[in-house]
Amino acid sequence: MTGPDGIPGQELALAELRGVLAEVTGREELRAVPAGSQLFGPPVGLDSLTGTRLLREVRRRFGVDVAAEDLNLDALATLATLAAFVAGRTRLPTGRQ
Amino acid sequence: MSAPAGLVKCVVWDLDNTLLRGVYLESRPGPPPLDPAMASLLSVLGERGILHAIASRNPPEAARYAAEATGCAFVAAECGWGRKSEALARIAAGLDIGVDALAFVDDDPYERAEVGAALPGVRVLSPEDVAEAVDWPEFSPAEVTAEARRRAGLYQQRQRRMAAERSFGGSREEFLRACGTEVTIAAATAGDVPRLHELSERTSQFNSAGQALSSASLEEAIRSRAQDVMTVRLQDRFADDGLVGGCVVDRRQAGVWTVPLLMMSCRAIGRGVIDSLLGWLTRAAARGGAGVLQLPCVLTERSVPLRLALASAGFRADPAAAGPGRALYRHDLAGPRPPRPDWVITPEEP
Repeated sequence: MTGPDGIPGQELALAELRGVLAEVTGREELRAVPAGSQLFGPPVGLDSLTGTRLLREVRRRFGVDVAAEDLNLDALATLATLAAFVAGRTRLPTGRQ
Repeated sequence: MSAPAGLVKCVVWDLDNTLLRGVYLESRPGPPPLDPAMASLLSVLGERGILHAIASRNPPEAARYAAEATGCAFVAAECGWGRKSEALARIAAGLDIGVDALAFVDDDPYERAEVGAALPGVRVLSPEDVAEAVDWPEFSPAEVTAEARRRAGLYQQRQRRMAAERSFGGSREEFLRACGTEVTIAAATAGDVPRLHELSERTSQFNSAGQALSSASLEEAIRSRAQDVMTVRLQDRFADDGLVGGCVVDRRQAGVWTVPLLMMSCRAIGRGVIDSLLGWLTRAAARGGAGVLQLPCVLTERSVPLRLALASAGFRADPAAAGPGRALYRHDLAGPRPPRPDWVITPEEP
């Protein structure tokens, strides 16, 4: 997966994950959620249903199976930790070459 | 034909020359009559708590006609020219069950072969087979409870709830509140045993033990002074879902509460049930003087929703106690515990 030059991979993952969050929860306002937001607690408030949808979409879009690699699902602590986890496994560009 | 062991939760029916005696689009002057043998199987299986759905090449009117003619509440109707295996996968996903909990009845050997090849877990049957198959164990839950019989109606109410949710803007918690959700946790009585046993048999996504618990074991745990069996009931303004979950607590080890079984019907997913139960367990264990709450868990690719609920409730899998396909989840009770939402009714809590 490659992105436009100069955009770090984690930023790309963040942008895409915000869209995924809005889709799996049906809440458009999550497209603007801060990177440091926790995912289980407010404001996102993932539960087992929306969390499962999120992990399914992450696997489909990024090819990263969070559940298989992370027993305690620590990657889901915040939006930023999930973006870092995904970016670290998809060879997204890490910055301007 | 191999017959996998699990119980069938939903039978997907073809229409032409299967549920109907004839071909819908070719029948003159009116639509073809029902096949009486198939129609009676619909009600026999429905009485056992098994759901029905339709996968047909006909236009949607044909499915509406079949629903009216049979009086059966089909939980899904897939009408179209795509692969029937894909229709079955969508039906299973819509019901939050695995495709291996489906049976498929079609008179067309090509359709049966396509589904059988694409989805080897599905019980694929001809109309001749199905009359005999109703006596197979996978169509025969040991005990059929009132809740199981009501299940088809509940799935329809669920679809109305899902439609309401799609048009609702707020958070999930706000949605649950707006629905008048009420989760009631209570100690099990002997009368709850058949339903608890049935749940332990039918649950796969939300079954921490990965297996059923016999009625005798449940009765013994209810009688024991060192064990508790808890039930969780769920209702909202759309439906009274009845008993949808439960757990067994073992207090025999000093300072530790162990949960050998935690389970929930997958139809209650997304409605705060598992989080309510995990929250109550941590508070009750702390009040009971335990320092640790632990929950051994069988891990499969289907247990991701349960792992999410455990992580969200503050449980950690102990890497030292993990084996292949298993983990020991622990909650240190010295840390923060989730408060009780006001729509959760629990014993012994103000």
